[in-house]
Amino acid sequence: MIQLESITKTYQVGTEKVDVLKNIDLTIEDGEFVAIMGPSGSGKSTLMNIIGFLDRPTKGKYFLDGKEIVDMQDHELARIRNQTIGFVFQQFHLLPRLTALKNVELPMIYAGVKKQERMIRAREALEKVGLSERMDYLPNKLSGGQKQRVAIARAIVNEPQVILADEPTGALDSKTSKQIMELFTMLNKEEGTTIVVVTHEQGVAAYADRIIYVRDGTIIQDDTNPEPGGDIK
Amino acid sequence: MSIIENIKIALSSIFVHKMRSILTMLGIIIGISSVIFIVALGQGGTEQLKSLIVGPGNTVSLTYMPSEEEIQKNPTMLWTPFTEDDIRAVESIPEVAKVVTSSESFGTVRFRENHQEAYIAGVNQAYIEVNELHVASGRNLLASDFLGARRTAVINAKVQEELFEDVNPLGEIIYIDAQPFEIVGILEKPEGLLSSFDTMTVYIPWETLRAVTGENRISYITIQAENTEDLQIAGEKAAHLLNQIHGTEDAYQVLNMEQIAEGISQITGIMTMIIGSIAGISLLVGGIGVMNIMLVSVTERTREIGIRMALGATRGQILFQFLTESVTLTLIGGMIGIIFGSFAAMIVSAFIGFTLTISLPVILIGLGFSMVIGIIFGILPANKASNLDPIESLRYE
Repeated sequence: MIQLESITKTYQVGTEKVDVLKNIDLTIEDGEFVAIMGPSGSGKSTLMNIIGFLDRPTKGKYFLDGKEIVDMQDHELARIRNQTIGFVFQQFHLLPRLTALKNVELPMIYAGVKKQERMIRAREALEKVGLSERMDYLPNKLSGGQKQRVAIARAIVNEPQVILADEPTGALDSKTSKQIMELFTMLNKEEGTTIVVVTHEQGVAAYADRIIYVRDGTIIQDDTNPEPGGDIK
Repeated sequence: MSIIENIKIALSSIFVHKMRSILTMLGIIIGISSVIFIVALGQGGTEQLKSLIVGPGNTVSLTYMPSEEEIQKNPTMLWTPFTEDDIRAVESIPEVAKVVTSSESFGTVRFRENHQEAYIAGVNQAYIEVNELHVASGRNLLASDFLGARRTAVINAKVQEELFEDVNPLGEIIYIDAQPFEIVGILEKPEGLLSSFDTMTVYIPWETLRAVTGENRISYITIQAENTEDLQIAGEKAAHLLNQIHGTEDAYQVLNMEQIAEGISQITGIMTMIIGSIAGISLLVGGIGVMNIMLVSVTERTREIGIRMALGATRGQILFQFLTESVTLTLIGGMIGIIFGSFAAMIVSAFIGFTLTISLPVILIGLGFSMVIGIIFGILPANKASNLDPIESLRYE
C-alpha cells in the first residue's frame, strides 16, 4: 500500500521557487489499477518519480506498506525499488547492447539472483508477455510494441508489488497500445499487481479502475471508473 | 551483483569500441612493457655481471701496479710481476688455501697449414680447479701433466672452431710457436655473456711453458682462502708480503672484485631508474588517457546508468561497474604490455648474448601496476557515474 501525506516538491528555477507538487495526499491500495491524468507540466511525472522514489519530496511523508521511506538512504531505496517497483517508460529504455533476455535479467542481477534461476525466470516473464519467440533479439530488431513488452517483462520479473508506467503507449500506434494496456489489465487482474499509469490519453486511462486528475501540482479529481475497459481509438 | 557480471559488462563495452580501447591502452601497453623490459634487464644484467666479475669460488686477485717513480727508477720491473719464489712465499701464508697462477701471452698456434694468433695460458693445477674449467670431450690437465711438464694442451671451443673445422682435435698435434703439443681435451662452450668475450685460448701446464720457452714470469695471481671470512686478510697479507720481498711500496694490491661488481650494479641501478621514470611518465599519461575515455564513456552511457538505477542498482554498484571497466581496460593493456616487454627482452637478450630474467614476480609487478592505475584513474569517472541523478539520466539524449 502506498500512502503519500502532504507531499510537496519544490524546484529552484533561477531565483524563483516553483512548487511542482503541492500538498498531495494520495493512497493507493494493493491491487488497484490507477491512471494519473493531466496536461504536460501538471506534475504527474514528478508524482510518479516520487512514488517510485527516483526522486525525493521536499516536504511530506511517504509510507510504503506502513513504513516511512523518506528518510532512508539511497542504497536502501535502491534495494526496495529493485524488489517492489517495476518501471515502464514511454521510450522503453532497454539497454541496446543486450538481448531481450539479458535486458529482462538485469533487475535480477541487482537482486543477487543466481544465473540459472535468472534464465528460468526471465524466460517465464517473456512468455507471459508473449515474446518467447524473440528472446535472443537485440532491441533494434524489435518493433515498438515488442520493445515495450520486453520492458514490461523486465518490470515484472522481480515480482514487484507495483508497476509504474510513464506514458507506456506514448510511442506506440493504437493497435499496439491496446495490446499493451490489455497486458497491464491482465497483470492487474490475474497477478494482483498494482498498476499506476501516467498518461494524457483518455482512452488509455479508461482501462484503469480509478482515474486521478492532476493540474498545477494538485489533485483536482479522483474518480472510480465504474466500467474499466478499452477505449483507444 | 557479482564481479563476473561486472567484468562481462566491462568486456562488452571495451569490445564495442575496439579502436578507442586499443588507443587508450597504448600508453599502458608502452608503460608496462618498459617496466617489464627494464626489470628483466636489470635483474638479468646484474646477475650476469656479478657472476662474470666475482668469478668462481671465494677468490681475490692480486694486481701489480708499480707507481710511475718506481718504473722510472727501474724500467724492467714493469715486466716482472710475479716470480715462482713469490708464489711459494704466498702459499706459505696460513690463511691461503690455493694460489692460482697463470702466465698469459699471445702466440701463433698452427695445425697443419692453418695458423692463428691465440692466447697461450700457462696455468697451474689450482687454476683448473678454482676456475672450474670443464672439458666437453677428452680430459683435463692432470697432476702428471704439471709435474712432468708434459707437452699436453687443452683448447677451448673457439680454437676448435677456428683451427680444426671437421677434424676431431683430440690426439692431434698443434704447434705453439713451433713447439709441438698434443691436444688432450676440449673445453665446454661457455654460455651467455661470456661467449661473446670468448677468445681462442690454449691452456698448457705452467711447468711446460717455462721449460719450453724459458719464460719465468707469472702474469696473474689469484688467491683462494681457507675460509671465506679470511679472504680479505689473506689477500692483504699476500700483497704486504710481496711488497716486502720486492722492496716496493704499494705496487702489489688486492683487487676487490666485489666492489667493482657493486659499482657496476649501481650503474645498472641508475639506468633502471632512468628508464623506470620514463615508464612511469608513460603510465601516468596512459592513466590520464584511461580517465579521459572513461569520462567519455560515462557521459555516453548516462541513460544506461539512469536505467540501471531505476531497475534497482545502488550507487555503489554503479561505481563498482565503472571501476571494474577501467581496471579491465588497464589490465588488458598490462597483459599486452607484459607480452610485448617479454618479447623485447627475448629479442634483446638474443642479440647481446645474455639472458634477461622474466620471472613470476616481474609479471606480477606488471599486473599489479596496471591494476593500480586502473583504480586510481578510474575512481573519478566511476564516482561521477554513481553520483548521477537517475531522473536527469533517464531524460538524457
